[in-house]
Amino acid sequence: MNDEEIQTLMMKIVDGVASPGEEQALRQAIQGDEKWETELRAFRRIKEVTDGMRFKELPDSYWSGYWTNLYRRLERGLGWMLLSTGAVVLLAFAGTIGLSRFYSDPAIHIVVKIGVSLAGLGCIIMMVSVLRERLFARKHERYEKEVER
Amino acid sequence: MDDAQLMVAVQQGDTAAFRILVDRYKKRAYYTALKLVGDSDDASDLSQEAFIRVYNARRRYDRTRPFYAWFFAILRNLAKNHLKKRSVRSEYAAQVKDCGEQPLEADKAPDCLVEADETRKAVWAAVEKLSYDHREIIILRHFEDMPYEEIARLLEIPIGSVMSRLYYARRRLRDLLGEAYER
Repeated sequence: MNDEEIQTLMMKIVDGVASPGEEQALRQAIQGDEKWETELRAFRRIKEVTDGMRFKELPDSYWSGYWTNLYRRLERGLGWMLLSTGAVVLLAFAGTIGLSRFYSDPAIHIVVKIGVSLAGLGCIIMMVSVLRERLFARKHERYEKEVER
Repeated sequence: MDDAQLMVAVQQGDTAAFRILVDRYKKRAYYTALKLVGDSDDASDLSQEAFIRVYNARRRYDRTRPFYAWFFAILRNLAKNHLKKRSVRSEYAAQVKDCGEQPLEADKAPDCLVEADETRKAVWAAVEKLSYDHREIIILRHFEDMPYEEIARLLEIPIGSVMSRLYYARRRLRDLLGEAYER
């Protein structure tokens, strides 16, 4: 029996799912081998201790309010989404109006218009770069990907 | 109604069906999260967040997959990310204090355990020291009492890998607990 087979059988024995034949096969394989015997004893002891562990129960009041809390969080999420979308629409509209007035105003010097255009272009490039980085991280980050599945 | 039928109703905008699913799994979700992150408030927050993600992703639900396996994948990744953030915060705190590696704190009473005698406290402290993958498999097998087949389905790994990961997790646990567990 190789190490991998011993490890597998050992797990089955600790978890109480090994057949009598498997149990006997393992006993024969590890007999006299202190390393494996010590390991099996330790695993059994740990299993005994964890089997006796109990976790604190929460009061019934917590469970009766669980759905209400969850529903509130869902509502808030929807609220935030609508608020953000509305804000983006309003800002985009205001920006378009402002920019068209700015560029059509003959009183503003052409150099100022070029400067504002360049600064604006810089901002857009930076935003696109950050957005692309975020999207890349989202696509390649295993945990995030699974959460979204 | 089974879970898949309820999810179909949820996909059609039926919040009452979603409520039935929440009621069906809220306790299991909370206690699994509690064992994974070890803190009651965080567990409550994570379990609710997992349900919210389920609701928001309802259109992507695959009817051929068991609902709880899908839910568990979301919950475990939320827990994983939470622990990762918490570990960065504690590493920073340890650097500030210059404490280096912390010993097992058997005296510290875990807030999630009842009848926590010294032995149980030490074992729980050791479980909390395990890497996420090891901790997860110990929790599913030892505390959730899940058979290998169910663990394999939830973690999306073959049964052989479940047993192998369990072996290495238990060995690490034994190493953390020391010689007292070898006699």
